[in-house]
Amino acid sequence: MLVVLVVLALVLISATFSQSSGGPLHTVQQGMASAFSPLENGATRALKPARDLVNWVSETFNARGQNSELKTDVQKLRAKLAKAQSAVGENEQLRKLVGLDQKGVLAGYNLVTARVIQRPPSVWYSTVGIGAGSGDGVAVNDPVIDGDGLVGRVTDVTPNTAQVTLITDSESAVSAKVLPNGPEGVAKPEAGDPSTMLLDFIDKNAPIHEGQMVVTAGWSNGTLSSFAPAGIPIGEVRQTTIGQQETYQNIRLAPFADMLNLDIVQVGTNGPARPGVSQ
Amino acid sequence: MIVTWRIGLRIALIMIVAIVLQVSFFSYLTLFGTTPDIIPLVAVSLGLLGGAMTGAVCGFILGFILDSVLLATLGVSSLMLLAVGYLAGRYREGTEISNTLIPPIMIGALTIAASAGFAAMQLMLGIDVPVSLLVLREIFVQGLLAFVLAIPFYPLIRRILRPAIVDDVVAGRRMRTPIRSGTQRSRRRLSRRRSPRMRRATGVS
Repeated sequence: MLVVLVVLALVLISATFSQSSGGPLHTVQQGMASAFSPLENGATRALKPARDLVNWVSETFNARGQNSELKTDVQKLRAKLAKAQSAVGENEQLRKLVGLDQKGVLAGYNLVTARVIQRPPSVWYSTVGIGAGSGDGVAVNDPVIDGDGLVGRVTDVTPNTAQVTLITDSESAVSAKVLPNGPEGVAKPEAGDPSTMLLDFIDKNAPIHEGQMVVTAGWSNGTLSSFAPAGIPIGEVRQTTIGQQETYQNIRLAPFADMLNLDIVQVGTNGPARPGVSQ
Repeated sequence: MIVTWRIGLRIALIMIVAIVLQVSFFSYLTLFGTTPDIIPLVAVSLGLLGGAMTGAVCGFILGFILDSVLLATLGVSSLMLLAVGYLAGRYREGTEISNTLIPPIMIGALTIAASAGFAAMQLMLGIDVPVSLLVLREIFVQGLLAFVLAIPFYPLIRRILRPAIVDDVVAGRRMRTPIRSGTQRSRRRLSRRRSPRMRRATGVS
């Protein structure tokens, strides 16, 4: 019996990898995901107060430790503030240039607001389930944002739910640009750490500084495109290091969106056609 | 464990509630930088209560449902959870659990094993991005949280499955039957009252 189960598990793994997205196993998964979605939806709403309470206790505990660090940070930030104020005017112009004005970062899309109804227990799967699906117009490869910035893209849909692969998932990569006039690279995750991303393919001579904002570049070469349009905030540069033997800089980003505490997100649906992005 | 269809139903209910609680509640919590995972806890608990085969089958089913609900790679969680469920069951079959701390310790240790195995599987299946050392912290803290969560959850699962657990049934019978110097006739009457299944399970005729 044990051998049968082990073999069955191995068969499932290889079958999942070899089958197409519309294969029978995928259909079974979608069916089970649909069947569980009402339960998840109800439980997510019903248990929210309890979750908030536990997280509040946990955050309070953490905040005590962070207090002294933050005091040091405040002193540093005061010095930076004077410098930053002079750049505010310039910043406004740049925000407009990259489409990051107050009208919204997903101009041209129909925004569908959805609640996060499920999360995986492991850092290896940076995906979330949301309570909106193909019935609401959500399609595969639609970009997903929250109030802070880019969250991820839709990778699977059922009539009532959708699976969103976060930008911190090990299979994610998004074309990114450093503001105000920095170069373009690829923002990808560091597996196991949802609060850090890496910005790759930035030439080591490019001047990149801590605190610079990184937004989606909306890369396209005519036949292939990034799923996300240009101008969606991704995060800010936290650390840069340059290895002597390396061609590119090692840039660490802190994503703006808090991937561990996503609650409400917006999906950009029916957006402008992007070459090579199937929906 | 005597698995009748009623007990099977209870086990199925435990597994479904565990999955829903995990994806809708526990996965939202951040304790010591990680999220508690009660799925290995349930698989190990069922193994400790029901034996190796019950643990393996329940672990496999738990993994299959979890991977299906999360639309993740099918089979990965099943493989890990059936392994820890089986190991817990083997331990229970070979050793008498006399200390109440043993189940939480087993659950914590096997959760660490499941998380480490899961990480190894993911690495074997191919990760194109750098892997943070925080993964090690995640594995260890998840084991620690599983140990803490096992303190209320293991007795709860045991209580739900109590009618099927041979030790508990025998202990319950002993408690309900006062120790007295009964006659040969009354002992025979008591023996007749025991169900045939109970006689088979306990070896008392």
